[in-house]
Amino acid sequence: MSDILQLHPDQDCAEVLAAQVEALFRASEHDHGRGRHLTVGGNGTRSAFGLPADATLALGRHCGLVAYQPEELTLRARAGTPLATLEAILAEHNQSFAAEVPQPAPHSTLGGAIACGWDGPARAFGMSLRDAVLGCRFINGRGEIVNFGGQVMKNVAGYDLARLQVGALGTLGALLDITLRLQPRAERIATVSFAVNAEQLASWWQRTRALRPLLTATCYLDGRLYLRLSGREAAVDALCQDLGGEGGELNWAALANMQLPFFCAERLACVHLPRFARLPLAAGESLVEWEGARVWVRDGDHHALARDAAAQGGFVQVLRGPAITPQMDAPDWHRALRTALDPLGLFNPGVYRTQFCADNRSREEVR
Amino acid sequence: MTQPADLSTDAFISALGKIFPGERLLCGREKLAPFECDALPVYCEEPLAVALAHSEQDVVAAVRLCHEFGVPLVSRGAGTGLSAGAKPVAQGLLLVTAPMNRILALDPQAMTARVQPGVINQQISTAAAPHGLYYAPDPSSQIACSIGGNVAENAGGVHCLKYGVTVHNVLAVRVVSVAGDSVGEVLTLGGSCLSQPGYDLLALVHGSEGGLGVITEVTVKLTPAPEQTRTLMADFADVRAAADAVSAIVRAGVIPAALEMMDKLAISATEAFCHAGYNLDAAAILLIDLDGHPLEVEAELTVVEQVLASSGAIQVQRAMDDVQRARWWKGRKSAFPAIGRLSPDYYCIDGTVPRHRIGEVLEATERFAEKYRLRVANVFHAGDGNLHPIIMFDGREADALARTEKLAADILEYCIAVGGTITGEHGVGIEKINQMAVQFTDAELEQFRAIKRALDPHALLNPDKQIPTLARCQEYRALRQTGE
Repeated sequence: MSDILQLHPDQDCAEVLAAQVEALFRASEHDHGRGRHLTVGGNGTRSAFGLPADATLALGRHCGLVAYQPEELTLRARAGTPLATLEAILAEHNQSFAAEVPQPAPHSTLGGAIACGWDGPARAFGMSLRDAVLGCRFINGRGEIVNFGGQVMKNVAGYDLARLQVGALGTLGALLDITLRLQPRAERIATVSFAVNAEQLASWWQRTRALRPLLTATCYLDGRLYLRLSGREAAVDALCQDLGGEGGELNWAALANMQLPFFCAERLACVHLPRFARLPLAAGESLVEWEGARVWVRDGDHHALARDAAAQGGFVQVLRGPAITPQMDAPDWHRALRTALDPLGLFNPGVYRTQFCADNRSREEVR
Repeated sequence: MTQPADLSTDAFISALGKIFPGERLLCGREKLAPFECDALPVYCEEPLAVALAHSEQDVVAAVRLCHEFGVPLVSRGAGTGLSAGAKPVAQGLLLVTAPMNRILALDPQAMTARVQPGVINQQISTAAAPHGLYYAPDPSSQIACSIGGNVAENAGGVHCLKYGVTVHNVLAVRVVSVAGDSVGEVLTLGGSCLSQPGYDLLALVHGSEGGLGVITEVTVKLTPAPEQTRTLMADFADVRAAADAVSAIVRAGVIPAALEMMDKLAISATEAFCHAGYNLDAAAILLIDLDGHPLEVEAELTVVEQVLASSGAIQVQRAMDDVQRARWWKGRKSAFPAIGRLSPDYYCIDGTVPRHRIGEVLEATERFAEKYRLRVANVFHAGDGNLHPIIMFDGREADALARTEKLAADILEYCIAVGGTITGEHGVGIEKINQMAVQFTDAELEQFRAIKRALDPHALLNPDKQIPTLARCQEYRALRQTGE
């Protein structure tokens, strides 16, 4: 295990953290939590994704591997454990997470990844991070420690409150332990690339469909289309030969972690589109992933992008530059769930207001 | 909201008749009888009325009327569920969405299908087949079960280990809400992108057993049909060795498309039923599908065969052709009717455990069965650790059902004790509601209740199922302590 990546020693701080929440809950009950709150966060590496940089409820110190048995294809770890530490352990057993998880920094935590719910290049061809979550233990807004989901592949006992935490940015609970599904590492990973102009991309996505299940990522950058193929050696080598193209290396990990030079920009937006939607026309340089379903735009006009994306059934998330208010379905459900899990609104109220409390888009009256 | 009982019942039925004219509204014992249970017929109840919904507007109107009159509403599709989740509520409305059975759109390019909730699971794959696509989750009831129910239960199936369960294969649902200001509104959860802003409400609806909203439309992800599928069958002289081989295969870095296990009783029942070609001398067999790129399949066949040989398999066969493959799988898929021929009644349970504990749980099941003088056949999704002990009993014997329920409870609680869960894919319904008090703490159960109250404040939708009341939990825990 890589000790360099261990900011904190392995320790179980669940009780201490829960006591901190409970104390605040008790002190706030009489006035509905007015003005009191906790910022929930880890090691502060994901502020671009919406998590607070300074945590008053610091989960980074709740850290360490809880359970890992390679034959179970599951791993349970504390929220504050650096992802890199876990990946190093998995690599020793020739396994990886079942979803590709972005790590903005070497000490980015598992809990932060779950709270943000962002996916890497493999998402369009396999599981999302949410898909890979099997269970989690968290502190609710009353300071109670609760555990949902399980350590097994399938579990439908009660509501799925584990997956609900994915992407909730700590507004529905403070994550303690997470159980993730794993997968065997591919025997061979290869990259092939082609010189392609943007107009040809749509027809390429028709062809790439046939490359599943060996196709595990696509990236279009600077006039080149890169395809990542993963699987058994014989199959991947044969497919590479069939495809032709050029070798062309792309640092897929740097792409997943947004560390390619492309991502160094004052303004950075991520456009989600339905498959086969037209590329947004708004100005700016773009990087296209997920067979066109995710487009990164640097130094673009975020408001124009948001309009273009919405017209095609998509939406924009801004990492740097002018913010776009998220447009959400089912505002009632968001409000009700927030209250059910955090009755006094103690966890990350600012994040909740800006990310989950927006005006509705498609509340629709039938009749 | 609530009105005096009798007067309001007449008014409710009369208003309902305007939404559901003629034969679409069923009242009276004779017409209600076929709807009094789902596929777990030991739990029955006669509803006030049954309404057959043909459109989303029908569902919206029914939900609004039930809300106005304070009448509980249970929605169901084909009624193939195995946990009494679709059992009607006395004095409640049973809303059947099975007639909403149209495939609204199939987009081979985007690999999606938008369907009404009453569409049968298998029909989606049939419609997608000409495009080289299929819908991956395949519950054993796939020729009869509907997609709305699949979402409500988060149904699994034989090929989930590699392709995921329902929640992994659905992109969006439309659902009629009963929450707060949105009573009777249709919400779209999820969408056509691979990510959505806001909370993951789509995941929350999966497995919510019709308790948080009524589903009116489902957009599913379609999967390209594998280029090649090969099937292996391995015979074992010992159940424990077969169970351990399951872990060994996964440990070797292979995720089979399917990895199923049958024990001696299941083998003999199915062999007698459909002559699948199983070895009657085996204590257990494993049935394994490997699929994908032909070269990948070939490489994995070799790996799996080696693992099986070193795990003590007495015989390993590759299916020679698709005919033999189909015959082996027909046996597996006919296990339920086959066992049904051996016993007047049977009761299937659904505990899921870590893979490396399968052998131990099977042995414990055998011990428990002896204690209650019952026979149990096992045919299950071994790759997922999802056990399906089938308890055989004769309901005509005075205490047989009671012994069966006690045996089921013992097995499920053993599953919890080894780190598993009481249900992998069938849902809690009424059947496993007591064991919820064992799997979860009071704070966790209260959290579930808070979620239910948040989205269904008047307890209109499928009430008194899935999440036990505090009183029920206390009662059941007290009973367990006294060993009753």
